[in-house]
This record gives sequence, C-alpha cells and structure tokens, in this order.
Amino acid sequence: MFERRLYFHVDWAMLGAMLALCLLGLTQIYSATGGPTDTYFTQLYALGLGLVAMVVCLAVDYRSLTERSLLIYGGIVLLLVYVLFFGAVRGGSRRWIDLGAFNLQPSEFAKAALALVLAKFFSESRRDGVSRTDLLTAVALTAVPVLLIGRQPDLGTAVTLLPVLFIVVFVAGMPMRVFAIIALAGLLVAPVAWQFVLEDYQKERVVTFLDPEQDARGAGYQQIQARITVGSGGLWGKGFTRGTQGQLRFLPVAHNDFIFSVLAEEQGFAGVLVALGLYLFVIMRAIEAARLSKDRLGSYLVLGVLASFSFQVVYNITMSAGLAPVKGLTLPLMSYGGSSLIATLAGFGLILNVRMRRFTN
Amino acid sequence: MSEKGRSGLADNQTFDWHATLRSRLPIGAAILLVWAVAIEARLVHLQVFQHEALAARARRQQQRTAETLPNRGDIVDRNGRVLAYSVDTESVYAVPGDIDDPTAVVTAICGALADCDAAERRRLVERLSGDGAFAYVRRQVPPDQARRVKVLELEGIGFLTESRRFYPNRELAAHVLGYVGVDNVGLSGIEASYDEEIRGKKGSTLIQTDARHRPFGSVDRPPTAGATLQLTLDTQLQHIAERELRLGVRANRARGGAAVLMDPWTGEILALASYPTFNPNLFQDAQPGARRNRAVDELYEPGSTFKVVTASAALEQGVVHPGDMIDVRGGRIRFGSRVISDTHDYGVLSFNDVIVKSSNVGAIKVGLQVGPERMVEYVRRFGFGRPSSPDFPGESAGIVWSPAKLTDSALASVSMGYQVGVTPLQMAAAVSSVANGGELIVPRVVRSIVRDGQRIPVERKVLRRTITPDVASQLTAIMEDVVQQGTGEPASLEHYSVAGKTGTAARLVDGRYSRSEYNASFVGFVPSRRPAFTLIVVIDSPRGSAGYFGGTVAGPVFKRIADAALRHYGITPNIHPETPVMVARGGSEVPDVSDVAPRPVSAVVFDESRPRAVTDGRDGFPDVRGLSARDALHLLANLGVTAELRGSGVVVRQGHEPGTDLSGVSTVVLELAREQPRRPEGDAASSGAMP
Repeated sequence: MFERRLYFHVDWAMLGAMLALCLLGLTQIYSATGGPTDTYFTQLYALGLGLVAMVVCLAVDYRSLTERSLLIYGGIVLLLVYVLFFGAVRGGSRRWIDLGAFNLQPSEFAKAALALVLAKFFSESRRDGVSRTDLLTAVALTAVPVLLIGRQPDLGTAVTLLPVLFIVVFVAGMPMRVFAIIALAGLLVAPVAWQFVLEDYQKERVVTFLDPEQDARGAGYQQIQARITVGSGGLWGKGFTRGTQGQLRFLPVAHNDFIFSVLAEEQGFAGVLVALGLYLFVIMRAIEAARLSKDRLGSYLVLGVLASFSFQVVYNITMSAGLAPVKGLTLPLMSYGGSSLIATLAGFGLILNVRMRRFTN
Repeated sequence: MSEKGRSGLADNQTFDWHATLRSRLPIGAAILLVWAVAIEARLVHLQVFQHEALAARARRQQQRTAETLPNRGDIVDRNGRVLAYSVDTESVYAVPGDIDDPTAVVTAICGALADCDAAERRRLVERLSGDGAFAYVRRQVPPDQARRVKVLELEGIGFLTESRRFYPNRELAAHVLGYVGVDNVGLSGIEASYDEEIRGKKGSTLIQTDARHRPFGSVDRPPTAGATLQLTLDTQLQHIAERELRLGVRANRARGGAAVLMDPWTGEILALASYPTFNPNLFQDAQPGARRNRAVDELYEPGSTFKVVTASAALEQGVVHPGDMIDVRGGRIRFGSRVISDTHDYGVLSFNDVIVKSSNVGAIKVGLQVGPERMVEYVRRFGFGRPSSPDFPGESAGIVWSPAKLTDSALASVSMGYQVGVTPLQMAAAVSSVANGGELIVPRVVRSIVRDGQRIPVERKVLRRTITPDVASQLTAIMEDVVQQGTGEPASLEHYSVAGKTGTAARLVDGRYSRSEYNASFVGFVPSRRPAFTLIVVIDSPRGSAGYFGGTVAGPVFKRIADAALRHYGITPNIHPETPVMVARGGSEVPDVSDVAPRPVSAVVFDESRPRAVTDGRDGFPDVRGLSARDALHLLANLGVTAELRGSGVVVRQGHEPGTDLSGVSTVVLELAREQPRRPEGDAASSGAMP
C-alpha cells in the first residue's frame, strides 16, 4: 500500500514549512501563557497526534479514501448532531465531545469531510461545468454541517465551510456570471440580514469594526488592543516572552485567536514576515499540488481542504492586524486548539497524499 | 464542451477540467497575493510608522507609577520628648467601574464604619456610581473601622496605607508645630517651614498592571525617611507658658494673647504660646483665628515697650545721659491739632524716670532730639521691619516708616511705640539683645536636624550689634527700675531681679485709635544680671478688673511664667539668697530649722528619668536605664538600634553598657521592671545634670 518510492514524492518543503509554523505557534503559546503550562503541553500532544493523523491520511491512497467519503461525511454529521444534544458546554456554546483526556471538536473535522465529499461529487460529474442540480446538491451537502455548526452556535467555524463549496464549485467550472449574481444577491440580502438575522452582539461587532474608538472599553476593545499589540512590536519585536500585551491580558485569548498579534509584538515585523511567508509558501505549494494532480478528484480535494485553511489564515491575520471585525476564528497551525491542529494536519495529509501519488495509477 | 462518455474520450475530458482549473487557479492566487501585499502594508504602517505612538499607548495602559511616601520624621522637644510623629493608617478607596450596585455597597460600608450621616451616604453613592478607576471612600480611618470594612470583602473596594500625623500632646505647641494635610504636606508651622526636611524623599514604584488593573510586577525606588527635628522648645516650659497665658487671657477677659520665652544668649525659643489655640490633630475643626500664631503673625503697635529702642538710640548717640533732667511739665505735648498726654503730670523727670514712669512726653522729647534718620536706623538695627526668624512661615515683617516720611508728629509716635508694626517675636529678639549686651541673635525654634542618625545642630546666628555693652547695661539698670519702682512692679519676683518694660497701646480699630481696646504687654529678662530668659507677654484687648495696662495685665503673667522657668531650670536666686544652713562639725544634734524660711522649691518636679536629649551616638551607647520602654525605644530608634524588651515597666538593665561603641550594634536587650531601682551612686551625677 505504501510503496517505497512514494516516500521520495512527499512534499518535504511544504511539510517543513508547516512544521515550522507549528513550532512558531508553540513558542508563542509558551510565551503568551507564561511558560510550560497545561495549554502548552496540550498543544504539544496535539501536534504529536496531528502528525500521526497526517501519516494515516497520507498512507491510504486518496482514491480509495474518497470511496468512503460519504461514510466519513455521514459520520461527522452524526457527531455534529450528537454534539448538539450531548456536547460539553463552554462559553455558552455546545461544541465539544468530552473524551475525558481531551475535548474533541467535530466541527474542525467537518472541513476535511466536506472537502472529501464535494471533491468526490464533482469529480464524478459527467457534465462539464456545474449544472444546476450539481450546485443544489453541493449546497445541500454543505448546508447540513453549516447549519448544525451554526446551531452550536459557532458561526466562525460554520462560515469556514463555505469557502470549501465556493472554491470547489469555482474550479469545477461554474460560470462566472453565477458568481456575479451571488455577489449581487449578497448585497441585496445584507440589509435584510442586518435587520432580521444577525444577533445584537454580531451587529455590535460590525459597528465597532467600522469605528473601534467609539467604544474603546467595550466592543471595540479587542480591535484596539490588537492594533496596540502589533504596533508596539516594532521592527524587531520585544523579544521572546517579553511581550506584555498578551501576558497582561490586555489582549484576550492571546494564545488562541490573537496568536499572530502576540507574534507581531514579540518578534516584530521581521517575525511576522517570516510567518506570513511560510503561510504563503504552504498555500502556494498546495495550489501547485492541485495543479499537478493527475485527476479531478485530487485537485478538488486539495483545493477543498486548502479553501477553509486559506480562508482562516487570511481572516485571522487581517483581524490580528486590526483590519477585520473580531470573530472567534483561529489561525490554523499556530493557534492553540487541539482539534483544530489535528484536523488541519490531517487535511494536509490529504494534500500531501494527492501530490505524492500524482504519478501512480 | 459537449457531453461525452467517460470511457471513450478520457483524454479530452481530462483536458477539459484541467483547462478550467488552470485558468481559474491564478485568479485565486492573485487575490491571495493582493491580500498579502495589503497586509504587509498594514503591518509596516502599524509596526514602523505608528510604532512609537502605539508602544507609548501600551506602556500607558500597562504601567503606572505609584509614589511611596516616606515616613515623615518626628518632631521632638529639646529633651527628646515627642511632639509629633506619624502613624500608618488605612484609607478606603473604591473602583467605581467594578461596582454594580453603589447603593448596596455604600449601605454595607456605612454599616461597617457606623458613623456616616445621610449627606455622606448620598455623596458616597454619587462618587461610587459611574465608570471611574479610583475614588476615595474615606481617608485615614481608625484601625477598627478599617477592619470592619475589610471583612466585608466587597468587590471594588480596596485599602491604601497612608501616613497620618499625630500630635500626642494635642494643643501643646500647636502654633509652633503647625499641622499636616491629608496628603502628608506640612501646611503650617514647623511642619510647613521644614516640610522638605521632615517629609523625606518620595520613593516610586513602577507597577505593571494587567487588563483588570491588578498589579503585576513592580520596580522599586525606596523612599528616604524624613529627618527628625529637634526643637528648642521645652515641653514643660511650653506647657507652663500656655497655661499661664490662657489663665491671663481668661482672667482679663481678653481676646487673645501671645507669649515668647527665649534664651537671650542663643536665640533659642524655649516656649512660644498663642491663645486661643487649637488641636492640630483636628485642625480642620479649629475656631476661626485660633490657628493664627499671634507671636509671629500678628502685628501690633508695641507702645511703651518700644521706648527701649528710643532710649537705646538716645543713650548710644549721646543725645541724653541717664541722669539728665527732662521737663515733662503739663503732661502734654502738641503737634498741630494733635495732643499727646501722659497719665500724670510728672513735672521734671530724669531720663531714667522717663522710661521708668513711662512718660510719653519725655520719650517724645528725647525722640525728637534723636531725629528721624537715627531713630529709624536704630529701629532697623533692632531687627524691626523684617521677619526675625526663618523658622516661621508667614511671619510678618512688620511696618517701619522710612525716615523721609517721618514728620515730627510721626517721629513722636514712633518714639513712644506707635506708627510701627512689630511682632511679639521681634520684640523679644530686640530685648534679648539688650539682655545679652548688645547682640541681635536670630531667634529660632529648631535646635538640630537628625538625619540618618546624624545630628546636624542649627548654629546660633548673630545678626549684628545693636548697641554697645555699655549702653546695654545702662538700659538694664533702667529696666530694673521699671520693675522695682515703676509701671512694671506687678512683674517683680521675690528671689530674682527682673528687668522689663511695660507697654499699653491703644489698638487701631477702623483706622482710629480705640479708647476701649488696648494691647497690654510686658517684655523683659530675668535674672536681670546675666539673664537666663527673655520673655514677652502680649494680651489683646483685656477688659477685666485689672484694667488694660501692660503692668497690671501682662505683668502678672510674665511673673508666673518667669518664676516657673527659673525654678524649672534651677537658676540660682540673685536677691534675698538663702542663708546657708550651718551644721556643727561632729555635732550629732539636729539644728532647729523650724523658723528658717523654706527655700523656693521647684514647682515642677524634675523627672530625671526622662531622656536628656536626642543623642547622636557620638558618646557611644546611651544610658536608657530608668526610661519607659517607649522613651527608650524612641531614643534607640534615632540611633538605628532596635530593642528586644523583656518584662514591663521601666528599663532596669541594658544589654550594652553605656558608652560602649555603637558601631555594629543593631539590637539591644532591655530588661524592664515595674519598680524603678535605685541608681548606683556614680550615675546620678552624669544623668541628673541640669542643662
């Protein structure tokens, strides 16, 4: 099953960059939480488990794996339903399954599952382009986990599933004018959503994003603090464990959502350039893997996995720089979060899988 | 593309999806790159261009500098008795932003404080509402109240340790000491004029705070403790002066008064009293005017006491000689429409008698002969017209006219002590210069400053020579006569010769000299030959049965204070000395002494167990035996030595012998017992000596 020559086709460069990001994240978690805390070790174990998951996802040929994509998808959906009823509650939302040693967050795994099922679905499409039925089916497949996760509620993670659908449909050849129509519809729907769909706290986030100083101690607080944190780092940063904003808790959940700000404070613009470069490199390598893939299934799978990853990276960094409303979206690979790290590494196992099997039949 | 079977045209189909993919992937990559550039630009903006501003903002919200107030130094009298010290008290503060229900919190706090009224409750609720980060609830609360508030463990309520000034003797020397505001700044008296010395240097603490204002780490610069001030005051004399002044003011139904007792040779003020007085512990509650130190703040026209200056000028300039006869017949003198008269028609008086009988007409005639230039020169020589001591903040300079403005009428006024404004302290300093043979010495109330265990004495400062010793002794003789035969008779003492001068001056009320309000004063020195004390007593607006004359009103007060001071200091009587008691050598029978008049015995029992002075440690380890634990600790603390106490009562044994080297000693064992044991013979001489 795992032929020896495949070993040579593993994208070691991308793997190295990812590991570098994971280690960067670990050091920043260490610094932001003030030393070798439980948080730090949890992340360390998650990294180990993630690497195991990655090897598993890489070992099995993605083609045989996608044969069971519906099964995997179904399993995840069941887990999400289970979470809704029996999940552990933290911070007012029900997202986790308590496994004793750690909490499993099924929504993180939903991203890869959705990528698998959508890739499988579109790779088997007999028509070129995307037909209306194809689109509806894909939307339905996406909607199920999105709605389930949204119910937890975890709007952030739910939204990260949308890029998967979006990208796969995009590369599968959906006419550009459809995107135009969607964009237009979005513009029309926004005021309605504002009025009837969004909760007050969500509206507040948007308002304060537009003018954070208006409520510097309240809702605009995090955004302002993010800006202060990043700015006070300067060109070269304050040095490892010297960052004060995160350690003194001016920046909330520094080791989580705002890990990038902490990096910016301690390692400065220089450190941020390195991290940003690594992320871009990983994404570009993955795009290349999609391009090199010998079949549709591989390409779509790679891009599907990459879509939610890239979306989170872009959004989180934009938010950390104080340019987007604050939303509970983590920075994959670097932020604290066991399920997220494991799921991300497993997803990248799939990407590596596709790339290294580009010559096999 | 057309729909084809998957099996038949695999190549074609492969091309198909791949083309779409390849054409669309660059769009995604491009968007990603545009984003990356935008983010880079943003980061450069934040981290390079806005770096300074944002870093400053971070510092601002993370750090605050808290000042650590140093311990304010003690103030002690010349014998080391504590007049003022500082205690740590707690202040209750609130973080209004952390308080959800101000009314409930205030109710709880007031329940614990147990003494807030409705108005304070309202004020507190108002202060605790809102979003502030700091508000005082109440400052410097007693320990039991603080404890009761503490046990409530209220959210948003905290405690600060603040230093509070405490004056254990309450009113005693209140005007000299002054008082300290709630922010540890001296507001009046010595507390204000020596504020910098006593206050010490503030330390600072750089406190890092987290987002919830909890202190995190800190960098300390410790405060430097304030210096201990040793005053020239003698607590017992001060007490006597205040008591007698109070009695004198009350007996004469006067508005107030002042008394200054000083050493004419050194300028040291031994007692300075002003009445009405106040309690510096509660200085806010003082009666209006009670906080004013009349001895240095209040300008008065001295009246006849000022004739000492007139006489000095006349005698030294050779205008008159003590025996010269001066014609004061008629008892009146006219300047235009103004008529100045004596109380009696004295006929022809010798110059001495002009002063002794306090003839205005005589003094004016002499003053006119002296002339305005020389008169003003002497007035200034005696220190009038400028603040006499640096120790008193806000001391009045006094009012002295320039010679050019002195018309004959004005000069006449000055000659008898009108149209000049002086303070009692200035007057005491001027008369002291007569007492000591002609040197004007700066009066002072600070004897030494003890800083870091080092005693820095304040030097005696001679300002200038006022008159020759010859003239001084002539004046002394005249002033002795004032008391023996003249207006100052009520101030005479049985066993000591007194030199003095009375003064009775109409007060200016609404620009006119009052016919009912007078300043009655007496200034003089005792014993007149080789004096030990100069004393001035000024009584404001007496309305009692004793009239309003300086001799009858201020004289008795002078007498009582002087008498007590002389006895307290054990000054040998210089008139009517006691016959020594003769005891037959070898005789065994006790002589009959029943008809021998008892010697004046000091009214104040001198307690030889009290500490002599603040010791500076130069003489080695002090002898603290016989002291109370509190006094011993205080004395040792000034040397930087702590003591370990065993037992209770007074010190009977000390771990280090007196006189042993102090260096390296940090703790001494003191044994205490209830009964004070007899001292060994040898010690009595060394510790019982009088100053």
